[in-house]
Amino acid sequence: MSDSQREVDPWRFTGSFLEKILSRGIPEQANHPPIPWTPATKPLAESKVSLLSTSGLSMKGDVPFDMEYERQHPTRGDSSWRRLRSDATGAGIEANHLHIDTGYVERDLNVSLPVDRLRELVDEGKVGASAESHYSIMGFQGSDSSTLVEKSAPEIAEAMLSEEVDLALLTPV
Amino acid sequence: MGLVAREIEARGIPTVTLNMLWPLQRAIGMPRVAAIEHPFGRPFGDVGDRETQGSVLRAALSLFESAQEPGTVEHLPFVWHEDPKQTKWHPAEPSPIIALMNKRRDAKA
Repeated sequence: MSDSQREVDPWRFTGSFLEKILSRGIPEQANHPPIPWTPATKPLAESKVSLLSTSGLSMKGDVPFDMEYERQHPTRGDSSWRRLRSDATGAGIEANHLHIDTGYVERDLNVSLPVDRLRELVDEGKVGASAESHYSIMGFQGSDSSTLVEKSAPEIAEAMLSEEVDLALLTPV
Repeated sequence: MGLVAREIEARGIPTVTLNMLWPLQRAIGMPRVAAIEHPFGRPFGDVGDRETQGSVLRAALSLFESAQEPGTVEHLPFVWHEDPKQTKWHPAEPSPIIALMNKRRDAKA
């Protein structure tokens, strides 16, 4: 098998304890509701792209994600969302997420939210445009993701639609 | 994250979800998944590694043009430059849920 066909090992960096915990929620066979589908109708080179990170990013000066809430309620996480300006740099952003070392993204935003790399693709003509706004949520929701899914996600979609975003790339923590 | 992708897709914006834990696809059903074997905290590449960051971004975005059906999972070919044992991604102190689980485990022992 060539490298390009190799299957990604999801547990390469998790350690066995985390693998055991996370595996509990994964069925052997697909078991989910029908998958929503919106075809991408325009070429990438004509499309406006917005990024949505789950790394708990907020603009400095904005209200940060609430880590104290999670410290008090370990099985819950902040379910709100933040708008990030697409010209933001690491120095203008803070990251709040209790499950990773946030030092990397604070040194170089592009490790998790590749705003500069996206701008370069726009300059090269490979992507039509970067949206005026990118977005962040805080990915850890513990036992209840209902507010994130039923309130924050529709609000983010609405914000993207108001900026005529064509494509949304969701980026993990 | 995958549930959020579904909501956005359902409201008319195509999504690609970059994901290390791609088997979650079986539980969630994301429209398009780009699976990546990078550590948590640095999914696009290491600090200052513009080339990898740009390549991962291009590969993820290419799914918008290549994926033809809901639930497509593409395994990206990137190999992290450090051995897992040398790769630091954990927070300085355990997350509250892990601390709670450790406490419960110690109480049982």
